[in-house]
Amino acid sequence: MLHKRLQQFVLVYAAGVLSLILMKYLLHLSDYVIPGPLEIWRTALSVFVRYLRNVADTLWIAVVGHLISILLAFAIGIAGRRASWIGSLIHAAAYNIQAYPMVAVAPIIFILLGDGIIARLLIAVMICYFPLLLSVISILSEPVDSVEHFYEATGRMNWRLQMRIRAYENIHKLTTVIVGSATMAMVGTIVAEFVAADAGIGYSIRIALYQSDLSKILAALFLIGISTSLYLTALEWLGNVIQRKCQA
Amino acid sequence: MNRNIKIVGILGLAGYILLASVHGYCADTVTYRLKWLFNASVAGDLYADARGVFARHGLQVSVKEGSPEHDAIKELELGYAQFGAASADQIIRAVSMESPIVVIAQLFQKNPLQWVYRSAKLTIQSPVDFKGKTIGVTYGGNDETILRALMAKFGLARDSVNLYSVRYDYTPFYEGKVDLWPVYINAQGVIIRQKLATAGEKTAFFSPEAFGIRFVANSVITSRKLLKENPDMVNRFRQALIEGWQEAMAPENTEKTITVLRQFDKDTPEATAREQLTETRPLVQPGSPKDVGQINVTAWKQTEDIMLNQKLISGPVHVTRILKGNLKTD
Repeated sequence: MLHKRLQQFVLVYAAGVLSLILMKYLLHLSDYVIPGPLEIWRTALSVFVRYLRNVADTLWIAVVGHLISILLAFAIGIAGRRASWIGSLIHAAAYNIQAYPMVAVAPIIFILLGDGIIARLLIAVMICYFPLLLSVISILSEPVDSVEHFYEATGRMNWRLQMRIRAYENIHKLTTVIVGSATMAMVGTIVAEFVAADAGIGYSIRIALYQSDLSKILAALFLIGISTSLYLTALEWLGNVIQRKCQA
Repeated sequence: MNRNIKIVGILGLAGYILLASVHGYCADTVTYRLKWLFNASVAGDLYADARGVFARHGLQVSVKEGSPEHDAIKELELGYAQFGAASADQIIRAVSMESPIVVIAQLFQKNPLQWVYRSAKLTIQSPVDFKGKTIGVTYGGNDETILRALMAKFGLARDSVNLYSVRYDYTPFYEGKVDLWPVYINAQGVIIRQKLATAGEKTAFFSPEAFGIRFVANSVITSRKLLKENPDMVNRFRQALIEGWQEAMAPENTEKTITVLRQFDKDTPEATAREQLTETRPLVQPGSPKDVGQINVTAWKQTEDIMLNQKLISGPVHVTRILKGNLKTD
């Protein structure tokens, strides 16, 4: 699984870089606009270790942010699945907050919480949590009539049982949603670092942008892609294990 | 009778459209990408556009706002713009990577980049007073380069000051976490000064230029190709831009300039815009109107030397070869 995902990523990345290089030579662009292959390689080698540390820093924030988002989304999703006014309020709040551009909200968060880990974590959670919440609410509010009817008819149904039935019957959908939201956690952390933090790969990209250094940005994108692939594969593996256990 | 009036009206309208389109066709249409958002730092550029100075020189110019994401040099190479504004360090870095650009005018004769501080709490007589202070820098930005050059010149060790990574939000300075904050004196400098004055605090500015650091700021660029193929248009553009700046900076045109600024920048209060304009004047035109647009070769050479010393470029670019305007040395 990991091997295949990495291969696919490297293929897409290589295609992107090749098209840039092709554009450079076709349009006779200078190294300032698009650096040559040798320059990209040299820069990648010179920043590799430093950027690897930065990506690791970003990844652990993204993973913790993702975990918090999953817990919150399930807790609030269970509360909001009902067609009650609380459920409706949670829905409306989720849609509205999701509509705010994080680049505008992030500076406010950094004013309140400073430029440390907590602010980065909160932004990662905010970006990742709301889409996750909406999906969880949507999945958990879908009745599984064929199974639920029996417990309803026998008067043994309670909310815990209902959730277990729905989660069990939709385990594949839930796994897919959780894996999908992992990329949002990564994006959220990078946005936070880009906007206001002074650590992580988002911060390094910002400096590279100031220096108009596309080679560094390409090196950062490569490492982000690799680390995201690793995390997604780990989540998929975990999802498969859970699904197998559920089916056993 | 009515029919005749209608015919004359239609013919008149058709004639007007024809004339307008012929005029539009005759005028050279170009795009000019600014370095930053619309504010007093681009007053002359906006004035040349809004007050018809470009049109007077047979040019139809689309003046586009800049931002960190819009790099004028890249846009020139990609053909999205014919003229642009960029800082000297950007230009030198691009030339070191074989970017085919030339400088046709230098907008700021003095670099607006300075550091603001609370004058009641600090006394900064020279860079030596930086010792032990927390100084804001934009890592990767030209303020970092200037600060490092200053520290090297005055023999300050890197660990003798605490550097603080700055963003657009000035809260760390307002809260007193940072002693000196980098600003453009004619833009954010005015805003911070006004805000602290409201709170009863006095501010002062530290100018690196006063201590011998000549680091050129925004300048106007075009491509080598355009200069070679259409030198007349490049000259007309430069002339129009210089006239625009001269008119915008003339004290008797203050109201006109403020009107133009307010037309493009609706978010800045008028009082702030006026103060920003007052601060902009000595930066663009330190002496007579003839100063406007002059390219200071000495300052450009020093800028290149600073970048070489800090290894921001791999080798000399011999910057004088790309300076193609009204040159001066001092």
